[in-house]
Amino acid sequence: MRSLLLAAAALGLGVVSQADAQESCPIKLGVVLPASGPMGQVGERIAETGQFAADLFNEAGGVKGCEVEYLLRDTQGQPTVGVDAAKSLIDVEGVQALIGAVSSGVSLPILTSVAVPARIPQVSCCSSSPSFTELAQSGETDGYWFRTYATSRTQAAMGALLTSEQGREKTAVIYVNTDFGVNLAKQYKKDIEKLGGTVTAMVAYNESQQSYRAEVTSALDGDPDSLFLVAFPVDGATITREWLSLGGTSNLIVNNSLRSGDYLEAVGPENLADLVGYDSAQPRTESVATFNSLFEERFAGPPDGPGLHSVFDAVNVVLLAMEASDEITGAAIRDNIRNVTSPDGVEVYPGVDGIKEAKALLAEGKTIRYVGATGPLQFDQWGDVSAPKLTWRFEGDKNVEIKYYPLDEVDALIQKLDN
Amino acid sequence: MIFQHLADGILTGAIVSLGAIGLSLTMRILKFANFSHAELLTLGAYVAFVFLIFAKSMDDVLGGAIGPFSFGLSLIIAAVLAGGFTALVALLIDRLVFSRLRARAGHMTLVFASFGIALLVRNLILIGFGPDPYYYSRTLQKAIRMPGDILVMPDQIFVLGLTIVLVICLHLFLTRSRAGIAMRGVAENPSLASACGIDVDAVIRWTWILGGVGAAVAGVLYGLTVQLRPELGFSLLLPLFAAVILGGTGSMYGAVVGGLIVGLAENLSVMVIPASYKPAIPFLLILLILYVRPKGLFGDAK
Amino acid sequence: MRSDWGVHEVIGFFSYFVFFMIIALIFGIAVLGLNLQWGFTGLFNAGVVGFMAVGGYGTAILIGRERDAIIGGFELPFAIGLAGGMIASGIAAIIVGLATLRLREEYLAVATFGIAVSIQLVALNAEWLTGGTLGLIGLPRPLQTWIDGPLAYNCFYLALVITVVAIVYIGLERMVRSPWGRTLKAIREDETAAASLGKNPTRIRLEAFVLGSMLMGLAGGLYVGFIGYVGPFDFQPIVTFQIWAMLIVGGSANNRGALLGALIVWGIWTSSGYLVSNLVPATYQTQGGALQVILIGLLLVLILLYRPRGLIGEEDHVSLHAAAGSSRTFKESS
Repeated sequence: MRSLLLAAAALGLGVVSQADAQESCPIKLGVVLPASGPMGQVGERIAETGQFAADLFNEAGGVKGCEVEYLLRDTQGQPTVGVDAAKSLIDVEGVQALIGAVSSGVSLPILTSVAVPARIPQVSCCSSSPSFTELAQSGETDGYWFRTYATSRTQAAMGALLTSEQGREKTAVIYVNTDFGVNLAKQYKKDIEKLGGTVTAMVAYNESQQSYRAEVTSALDGDPDSLFLVAFPVDGATITREWLSLGGTSNLIVNNSLRSGDYLEAVGPENLADLVGYDSAQPRTESVATFNSLFEERFAGPPDGPGLHSVFDAVNVVLLAMEASDEITGAAIRDNIRNVTSPDGVEVYPGVDGIKEAKALLAEGKTIRYVGATGPLQFDQWGDVSAPKLTWRFEGDKNVEIKYYPLDEVDALIQKLDN
Repeated sequence: MIFQHLADGILTGAIVSLGAIGLSLTMRILKFANFSHAELLTLGAYVAFVFLIFAKSMDDVLGGAIGPFSFGLSLIIAAVLAGGFTALVALLIDRLVFSRLRARAGHMTLVFASFGIALLVRNLILIGFGPDPYYYSRTLQKAIRMPGDILVMPDQIFVLGLTIVLVICLHLFLTRSRAGIAMRGVAENPSLASACGIDVDAVIRWTWILGGVGAAVAGVLYGLTVQLRPELGFSLLLPLFAAVILGGTGSMYGAVVGGLIVGLAENLSVMVIPASYKPAIPFLLILLILYVRPKGLFGDAK
Repeated sequence: MRSDWGVHEVIGFFSYFVFFMIIALIFGIAVLGLNLQWGFTGLFNAGVVGFMAVGGYGTAILIGRERDAIIGGFELPFAIGLAGGMIASGIAAIIVGLATLRLREEYLAVATFGIAVSIQLVALNAEWLTGGTLGLIGLPRPLQTWIDGPLAYNCFYLALVITVVAIVYIGLERMVRSPWGRTLKAIREDETAAASLGKNPTRIRLEAFVLGSMLMGLAGGLYVGFIGYVGPFDFQPIVTFQIWAMLIVGGSANNRGALLGALIVWGIWTSSGYLVSNLVPATYQTQGGALQVILIGLLLVLILLYRPRGLIGEEDHVSLHAAAGSSRTFKESS
């Protein structure tokens, strides 16, 4: 009761604001990810990689000499639970920055009802919805929103480019009925028409259905010579199997999520010889190689899987921004995220030595440019980034790269398609 | 195009019919809507899968895939075992939960309990097998082109054939055997039946056995034509109920016809509405029949 | 862990407490609605989340700002939005209620389950109305421009929610103690007897069902107003399960129990996510959600079997739902 009175008194007087600086050790970093639920498997690896980034930072001495405490909370893939988790991290634990979440449908309510009101920056590794850009443009994020994952715009362009390079003219599109799939498919249609192709059918599918026979039958209408499939591995495998069974063409063009062993195994390599796909690429820089080898050392396997590179960078950028802040407050972190990813800053790299060097530079008052697991991060004014791309196909039981498209080529392609 | 949708409708409808028969009987004889019935389909499908893993080593004895089908004798055995096991589980659930509640609570409490059991079974399967799909056979079966430009997979023809055989067997059981006749008696007039000295407990057991076997076989067949997932049965829950209510609760033939109508309506609907609305079709059918002819197509007035 | 409890910590806890209470009490309103249906009338609603979604989207469409290619964006005041959402939920309830309530009771269970599935599909696919998978973003939160600071705002919102809960609670208490409420229970216990006394069971049950569903819609609207965003993810089937758990744990046919259940179950749910991610071995982590559902599902079945009254059961009555024996006597409370 006394506590409540005290709080009420403080509230009434307005002396204490919520965004009070966190001064004492350890420095807390709030992380909200789906450790269970439908995205649990994806979320868990992302969470571990984020922890790994924090561990490396601690090895380099932590933030301002304090150890970083990585506070992970499970969203269960449910918005109400995620919002509660974020709120308790900010209020009870006093974190000044949030990492997460994965699904846009969870990240959005956290952003609008928790992060922005509390003036705490939120950096997502994985949410690709254009709604965030829209919110930022209308001024409702106050600049507290960032993501280290490229939006679906470039993905659509790559899909269209692949389709036309393969010489396909009539393409059916089957896409997952989420913000990710819907936006990607719509943009793809615009892009492929610009490149001279046509779309014979646009079919959305709902996730986790037992069978997609009706969807596949609809998509077969119009006798397409190729299929652009935007899906996740499990449903994607079901759809591909039914598509091929019903006599659909084996000329598949697929999105990045299907670059997975699960998908390949479920459909069978012998059926996927004509498949081509695209993916976000890590730039051919030293920093990416460094991350990959660090990761292999720690987890005894390559960093294959969605969100791993991007969460690693999300954690590093936030921690560097904390280091750069005089006082660790949400607003200072928000502003300093720009200062540690500045295009004219001194380049710094992931890993213990890189972080040490970055901290030394920051101590001298210099601006830096963090070049990380996803290459040189550069947030635009809405908190979005873009990334280089690559194309790939399956060869036997593994996937191989066909071609690498550096950032300027991707940008040129977008320019061409948007004008 | 329409012929393709018609064919697909009949093929998926056959599986719904098979599952709906048991649900219809429980709704009539045990007097409650069993929301956990659909999970018996999932259970049956996974039990068969487990047996098939063991049967792999016995392929020499059982032989591999037969003719154009993707499966061999082992799947038939697996389906039989799955039927038996699922019936046992259904009996066990009745003993542990439903029979106790029958004795002392309103029948809506039974509906509620069935909801809880459905959640339990589904999530136990999820824990045991994980969320990823399994296939009885990884070979990708190509559809064959039938007259009228209809694409059908050989396995689907088998499913349809087997469903017809099972419905005939069930018909014979209900009309010729003592237990079957007793069941029909209870279904048609419970008070009269018990006055005539019919053993109601035995009838309840037979109901669970038939329901369990039907559900398991439907689950295996559904798993065969598509894949196994923990949501296999759950995704059929609404179609199953729609089939039962359409056909009229307690009517076996009603359930069969209801299942076919549901399958056809679902598949034909994609010609007019986007495929992503398809799962709502069973609900619309339920509303329609309840407003127009609440006793169902083959039901007698309550 | 914490050595000194400074003002910051206290304010932090207080702030989180306010937030937690807002969400829990919003759920509580839906539980009160379900209690009217199940606890007092014996109607099984398997699609609670569907009615919450209709209320939530209804409110959002009325209060939201104008957007391209989407119907709605009327920018109406929040109270009107809430009322509109409730009316929309009521209409959905009338559609399934009229079809089922004159028939077998479990048809209602099937139909409510069906409508929840269908509503989710509309939320996901009807872009022109619901914004599709993107949902409706940037919804104005009531009086936000007037109240400075997140904590002050949340305190205001909590006060608003508490007021609504109080009105709903007092209203329901009066109703269930009125002749109408006694008729409800009479019908629940013995429909034929009630009908023979000249009551029209179908009509009265429809009234209770529609009113309960409107309360669920109200909960959906308050949730949307608080979060400032609505999307198809917000109304997953698991929410129906959570609302049911709250009612059964708290004790059906008791409005205080319903509210208590909301607080307890939501408390367990939010903290068990934290526990699962800390205690469950890593290999089972991804199935932690399933584990949670199993544990709570098991708890529900056990409560049904061994403690059907929940924590606080129905007072003063002997009920078919509550009594261990199958006594059919029905005792008036006053």
